[in-house]
Amino acid sequence: MARRGRILRYFTYALLVAAAALAVYVLELDVRVRNEFEGRRFALPARIYARPLELHAGLRITQADVEAELRELGYKNPGEDGESGWYRKSGSELDIAVRAFIYWDGAEPARRVHAVFDGARVAAVQDGAGKELPLARLEPVPIGGIYPAGNEDRVLVRLSEVPKHLVDELIATEDRKFYTHMGFDPRALVRAAASIATGRLQGGSTITQQLVKNFFLTPERTLRRKFTELVMAILLEAHYGKVEILETYLNEIYLGQDRDRAIHGIGLAAHFYFGKEPKDLSVAESALLVAMVRGPALYDPRRHPDRALERRNLVLRETRDRGSITLEQYTMARSAGLGVSPRPTMGTSPYPAFVQLVHRQLRRDYDEKDLRSEGLRIFTTLDPRAQVAAERALARRIAQYDKERRFGQPGLEGAVVITDPSSGEVQALVGGKDARYRGYNRAIDAARPIGSLLKPAVYLTALSEPSRYTLITPLDDGPFVWKSRGAPDWEPQNYDRKFHGRVPLRVALARSYNAATARLGTEIGVEKVLDTVKKLGVGRELRPFASTLLGAAEMSPLEVAQMYQTIAAGGFRSPLRAIREVTTQEGRPLQRYPLKVEQAFPPEPMVLITAAMQGVVREGTAQGLNAYLPAEIGAAGKTGTTDEQRDAWFAGFTGDRLAVVWLGYDDNRAGRLSGASAALPVWGDIMAALLPQPLELPSAEGVEQVWIDPQNNLRGDSQCAGAVQLPFMQGSAPQERSPCTSVAGAVADTVDTTVKKTKSWWERLFGK
Amino acid sequence: MRRRPLVFLFLILAGCASAPEQGPAPAPVEPAPPPSVGPRENIAVAGLMESARTDAAAGRLPAAAASLERALRIEPRNPRLWQQLARVRLQQADYTQAESLAARSNSFAGGDAALRAENQRIIDESRAARR
Repeated sequence: MARRGRILRYFTYALLVAAAALAVYVLELDVRVRNEFEGRRFALPARIYARPLELHAGLRITQADVEAELRELGYKNPGEDGESGWYRKSGSELDIAVRAFIYWDGAEPARRVHAVFDGARVAAVQDGAGKELPLARLEPVPIGGIYPAGNEDRVLVRLSEVPKHLVDELIATEDRKFYTHMGFDPRALVRAAASIATGRLQGGSTITQQLVKNFFLTPERTLRRKFTELVMAILLEAHYGKVEILETYLNEIYLGQDRDRAIHGIGLAAHFYFGKEPKDLSVAESALLVAMVRGPALYDPRRHPDRALERRNLVLRETRDRGSITLEQYTMARSAGLGVSPRPTMGTSPYPAFVQLVHRQLRRDYDEKDLRSEGLRIFTTLDPRAQVAAERALARRIAQYDKERRFGQPGLEGAVVITDPSSGEVQALVGGKDARYRGYNRAIDAARPIGSLLKPAVYLTALSEPSRYTLITPLDDGPFVWKSRGAPDWEPQNYDRKFHGRVPLRVALARSYNAATARLGTEIGVEKVLDTVKKLGVGRELRPFASTLLGAAEMSPLEVAQMYQTIAAGGFRSPLRAIREVTTQEGRPLQRYPLKVEQAFPPEPMVLITAAMQGVVREGTAQGLNAYLPAEIGAAGKTGTTDEQRDAWFAGFTGDRLAVVWLGYDDNRAGRLSGASAALPVWGDIMAALLPQPLELPSAEGVEQVWIDPQNNLRGDSQCAGAVQLPFMQGSAPQERSPCTSVAGAVADTVDTTVKKTKSWWERLFGK
Repeated sequence: MRRRPLVFLFLILAGCASAPEQGPAPAPVEPAPPPSVGPRENIAVAGLMESARTDAAAGRLPAAAASLERALRIEPRNPRLWQQLARVRLQQADYTQAESLAARSNSFAGGDAALRAENQRIIDESRAARR
């Protein structure tokens, strides 16, 4: 008896201990559920946008390019009336239903824009009623983000912004008793238990359980985890209302994958699959999203449209059977197509190199944690048109070179930077031939010898002393030896292995003569040249050696762009910028990155160096460009080739864009690369695709244009054979007249100047 | 192979750009300006300049600067835009920028003496304030 009593007592103790352990376990879970659910805020990535395309009468852009931008924005063609986010084309006109968007400077409502094209320009922009619009912004293309762990992307929605039919469909398919159960469904539980007996652990999860699973637990499938999930679901239900649970679920749910970016929540999924706000989802569209809950990969409507359609219709049927939608709604939805937008996938970004630059500039002002969680909106300077042109030109040319083995073995790499010369905005950045690769970014991180790209700095330094140097000052391109203590003698060779005797300064630059340049640079002083380089905006310290004059210095393509930027802007230095504005996720402005200019050089020598660099293209090493651009564009630039032809460069500018192209091998292998044969074609392809504006010489009061007879470098006139018009600083032009001058020529030139005056009057009239 | 028509197109465009020398009607959509009105400006630029003026007058200087930068993206060689931006920076007591921007305006001012005089005033005022 006593023994039986003892057993009973032990049993009771054991039971109590078990109950206590369970209580502790449940309490522990309770604390966890409450802490995490309450403290939990979804981490939202910083969203990065391209520049908005601003349409106005007179804009130089082709209709095809505007359509490409609209497609990239996910605009449908044709679209349905009453909605936004579509366009219609009729001949040379576009009707665009522009979406609403919150810009840095305020919200713009959805509206109709009618654009008329005339050749490669916009002729007129009107609103829906035919009234002229001075300026119409298209919302900027999203170009990626800075993502939280796991590259989770989401756009938060309130339950009130989700259409009722979506919730009905979700409940009909996933959890019919959601509004009445306590976190679990006993019958489903029994079924689940039975399935354990048969060895197959499966389903029966309520919405609450699914949320708990995604929120707190790892995806392993054990009995213990199933039990924990059950307890936590009950606790969640005990503490929170159905609305809170449902809203969190709709934001948490995983609904697909876009390369390395995970699509979470109904808000983002509505954009990702339909290019819409969740509130605008139709019965059929929301049913498709609900269908994907069970298996976003399995029912991916873009990859498995048949399977997705079948499951969507199942969702619709179940919703109809529960009476949540009418028979009419059901019939209509069932006959609808999938309606998925054709938007190309982009992963975390289609332009990783540019986003990397943006990220680095942001890190100076923001915490990494905030960038990955606060949902900041970053408005950048990227011009998708320029970016695509740069990527294409680089990839195509490299593929061609590799195939022809024109420059040694395959494996050639490259980088491109494009900027707006007047503002310093970076419009495009390509970090390698595979522009989608998220790794080594040659445009920012590859520091390579720049070769002859440094020469403009040498000549600019010289031309800043008008009493000593003009564009026609003869330079000696004879053999040159530079002796300095503690270093071997330096004897620069010319590219063609010849010396050219006395040549005018502008010709020495145009033909990139090394001996003449080395002599000139050492004459004016290496330190002075380095000072010019610094004033041009290069922050890197260059070694004060004579060899630096011929480009032994290493720079990244972005640094080269900064240096040439200052030249292209007539001596006004603007730090290169990739960001315009930052706002909070609600659109409250946080910061602007304004245009900044600093006058680094007086205007006169800038006119001269720019004219000399135009000479490089007109008659020098970059003559090849004439096959790409008409002479009227007057592009200015410089080729660069380094020792043993390891690096090929071309840097130059037109009236509205500056671009730097570098080609070379990552292992610094000697190629057979030259700036003119390898880099220049890439540059030419890019500019030809971008409708460049002619480059007008900057104006300066102290500069006069003088006809020069190239035979003798004396003052000529327009009637002299081969005469060129060159800028001179006041008083520095030759006075002696060439024998070729004539009375007729003088008369013609007087007329010529009148025409010039008329032109500038017209220019003023048209504000050009 | 596709290069040829493109180049051709540029030639046409370049032709248009220098056409005014020969006579009026540079493009069908750009009617000759009424003689009494001042220089004809792109209406987009005119609109942005106007809103910049309104914003600056109301003390909304960052907004004014933003509008002017937007206008400069359309007409980077318009000296009036650079000047107005210089004036906004002066109002913001950013004297270094005010001076540089006025100098930038000068580089596009050509023979416009009034414009140059106003730029000089901004430059002088900025220098005086910095001292």
